[in-house]
Amino acid sequence: MVSSVVSPSDNPQIKADKPRKKAMSDGLFSMLLIAPAMIIILFFALVPLGYAMDVSLRFADLTRGGIKEFVGLENYRIVLFDNYFWKSVRVTLIFTVCAVSIEMILGVFVAFLINGATVGKGLIRSLLILPLATAPAVTGLFWRYLYDTQFGLFNFFLGKLGLPQPNWLGDIDVALWAVIVFDVWQWMPYIALIVLAGLQSLPKEPFEAAELDGASYFKVLRRLTFPMLTPVLFLVGVLRTIDCLRLYDAVAVLTRGGPGSATETMTYYLYRTGLQFFRMDYASTMALLFLYAVVLASMFALRPLLNRFASRAQAR
Amino acid sequence: MDSLVKDFEATHCVKVTLVNIDNSQLYDKQVIEMVGETGAYDVVTLETAEKAEFAENGFILPMDDYIKENAEAVQYEDIAPILADMTTQYKGHIYGLPYYTYTAGYFYRADLFEDPTEQAAFKEKYGYDLAVPTTWQQHRDIAEFFTRKAGENLKGQPLTKDFYGVGLMAGRFQEIQDELSAFVWAWGGDWLTDEGKVDVETVTKALKWYVEELLPFAPPAALTSSYDGVINQMQDGQIAQTAGMFLDQWPNAVKTEEMVPGAKMGNAVAPEGKSYIGGFLLAVTSDSKHPKEAMDFVAYIGGVEAQRKFASLGGTTTRMSILTDPEVTSEANRAFTGAFPTLVKVFEEMKDTRSNLFFTPFGAKIYNTLGPMLQTAAAGEKTPEQAVIDLAAEVEKICGGACPINK
Amino acid sequence: MLQNRKSPMEILRYGIIVIVLLWTVFPIAWMIVTSLKMPNDIMVSPPRFVFKPTIDNYIYAFQKENFALFIKNTLLVSVVSTIIVIVLASLASYSFARYNVGGGSVLFFILTTKMMPAIAVVLPYFIIFREIGNSPIGELLGIGLDKPGALIISYTIFNLPFAIWLMVSFFQDIPRELEDSARLDGYSRMNVFYRVVLPLAMPGIAVTAIFCLIFSWNEFLFAYILTRDAARTITVGVESFFTLRGILWGPVAAAATISVLPMLVFVLVLQRYMVRGLTFGAVRG
Repeated sequence: MVSSVVSPSDNPQIKADKPRKKAMSDGLFSMLLIAPAMIIILFFALVPLGYAMDVSLRFADLTRGGIKEFVGLENYRIVLFDNYFWKSVRVTLIFTVCAVSIEMILGVFVAFLINGATVGKGLIRSLLILPLATAPAVTGLFWRYLYDTQFGLFNFFLGKLGLPQPNWLGDIDVALWAVIVFDVWQWMPYIALIVLAGLQSLPKEPFEAAELDGASYFKVLRRLTFPMLTPVLFLVGVLRTIDCLRLYDAVAVLTRGGPGSATETMTYYLYRTGLQFFRMDYASTMALLFLYAVVLASMFALRPLLNRFASRAQAR
Repeated sequence: MDSLVKDFEATHCVKVTLVNIDNSQLYDKQVIEMVGETGAYDVVTLETAEKAEFAENGFILPMDDYIKENAEAVQYEDIAPILADMTTQYKGHIYGLPYYTYTAGYFYRADLFEDPTEQAAFKEKYGYDLAVPTTWQQHRDIAEFFTRKAGENLKGQPLTKDFYGVGLMAGRFQEIQDELSAFVWAWGGDWLTDEGKVDVETVTKALKWYVEELLPFAPPAALTSSYDGVINQMQDGQIAQTAGMFLDQWPNAVKTEEMVPGAKMGNAVAPEGKSYIGGFLLAVTSDSKHPKEAMDFVAYIGGVEAQRKFASLGGTTTRMSILTDPEVTSEANRAFTGAFPTLVKVFEEMKDTRSNLFFTPFGAKIYNTLGPMLQTAAAGEKTPEQAVIDLAAEVEKICGGACPINK
Repeated sequence: MLQNRKSPMEILRYGIIVIVLLWTVFPIAWMIVTSLKMPNDIMVSPPRFVFKPTIDNYIYAFQKENFALFIKNTLLVSVVSTIIVIVLASLASYSFARYNVGGGSVLFFILTTKMMPAIAVVLPYFIIFREIGNSPIGELLGIGLDKPGALIISYTIFNLPFAIWLMVSFFQDIPRELEDSARLDGYSRMNVFYRVVLPLAMPGIAVTAIFCLIFSWNEFLFAYILTRDAARTITVGVESFFTLRGILWGPVAAAATISVLPMLVFVLVLQRYMVRGLTFGAVRG
């Protein structure tokens, strides 16, 4: 419907636009809107990136004279040949895979549990969300106390139940699990709540139809529920994976990378290199390698999501 | 510390802002400011091992002239000589004053040692009298002797929870290195040889001893403990003795007497007379905007008057005059100053000891590496031999070859 | 499904739910309990459940460590940065949603800025803020090392990508017809945004604000590096109880509780809105 030249001033309620010459194009307008945000993001994202790239190509030992001469790709060579670096990569990957899969499985399980509950859903959701509101750097300290073999509650209760009482933070085979358990504690509710919301927003018709057809519970799950939940599960899985790869606070506070190097994740090793040894050259190199890897991985993983965004925007 | 600062402010019309930082973060925070040349901190607190690095790189100012001009006020000779040397001197200059020493000694449950039942059992098992150990072998025997499960007897009474013979700081902190120093130095070696390489032989021997002979008799939590963990274990009645423990923790250790019925604490020089020496040094930063006032501050806090007050509040002072003052170390003050006589003895015993670690400009970095690398052996991730070999390689990498030692 | 009340399945279900809830809540509860204990009741084995409560730890935290200042700083920094983020992100997200600027690639780029590990970024930020702090603008606006401005800007950057992503889908949910008809009525684009779209997007904006607030409140690394004492926040302040005398667990617990309690209350009150936010609006709560 093409509007004829109905001047806004015909309608006294509208704050009259100054009669414009030629209105700004949509494109320009849209650019202006994103401008403030983008300027800030660009400056504060690209400057550190540039800095890191520059430093990674130089010798930079901050306590011995700062950033010095250009050494080309030497730092990359050193980092890629550093056994401790690869160990930290391994730790990070193991942690991420375990934590994310456990969180997902438990989260889905809990979501189904709650979905079938008849009363108290609001209360349950309120309580479940609590760990998310806490700072890992703070509650992590507490968990250190909880994990103590002598003073901690965990082993106390395990003992009462007659179960083995591991040396959570001191045993090299158990320590990483201690961190995983902490992460699961904090994030499983997040997953549960999302999946729960997903379940609750599923359309009713297919399920009613399936019930009429006499489909078994498990068949419904397999053919109907899970396929419909897949987008949500996928999204949440990817987000958690990215976060787990970047894990720092929990390790810094619970185990400080120990015992031995059992829980030294990439970010913790980066911290040690950059802020304890002040070898910013190695630290920057590692950070960049990390960045490239994660960006690459997420380009692949997030493609479906991005397409969805783009298509939604187009469709309007 | 606060009250000392207030006294300084009162007498010097200078405003001082104290920033409290956790010990484990002290290094990073201060270096960042210094490297960033922000001039944020006029005075910094350094560990003994960090002094060389900071001095070498020009981060802190030498105070030789100031001390010469204010010799009366500063009384530099009053500082325990070995402490003064290790903590403040580098390449012939003096870089500040130590205000606090955490030199190590040894704590033990005197009540256990004096109990007749235990004494008899010990004599029977080991063939000599139960007493404060003078060798590490004796120390180990005592550790083994007192490690018991819940239900067994201690002092004739059944235990309600497991008891351990020794408390160790085997967590992934810097303190594991401090604890091991006692062994390394006792057995004639040092962390770094005079050539600037890791003393593989002695360090391996020390680490092996620590891991194979002592760790089995420590609570599982030792692998996550630093000094506060061990003190908590002592207070909770879980351990019979420490290894080389910082004597400044005496006031805390004494609390055991309140918390465990019948407990009596004792302190002594560490077995074989060698243990970690060190202190916190107050130094003035080179980009301080008020160097004169900063030096005044350092001189004040490290000076006799403030140190005396510090001691009375339970601080472990660095000045011989106060450490040997009978009024300060009287029985009434035992809870605060009970470890002073031992401290004096330690200084005496170790007066000819020097450690190369404190005189290499890479000291801080090496210090930060020692902890995690040694801990891998404690945690069982590597054998002691392997851990030390890897450590030597790491140190060589850090120094780019042999580490320069600049006495 | 069988509708017998209290069937075994029901009991089992609720039983498991209760266990899960206990597991979720108890570490926080224990922390609060510990903050009320006297020092001698804390580091004991076996853990003590019966004790004489005290508020000494809280008194200590406020008196000895200037905790009130930390709270004030954290409040200031979190609230201001959240406001800035919301304003900037609303504009940007609307633009992405309505005009699809740059296809998906700009959005993707924004997301990637979050992937750099914070540790590597912290030093450049330190330098940047040092420079700004020394300049007159910095003096004027209170930006610079150990000034709240530095953290405000840092948290803004920190939260902006997330906020933009979150809000894009909320804006996309608003029917385009409403916007179109308002345009036809002669409203300018800004007016359409301001009068039509924004009110409808309020729930989404609220959710985003909640998350930004929480993340800023709980942040540790930047607060640690960019402040010394004047602008210190709660999360860093908790660590100030690690003294040479050992870790003062009582005050640590009190500090942790103070840090956590406001967020807990906040979240409990607004939990309904949060679920929507958790899925970037992909799922309705």
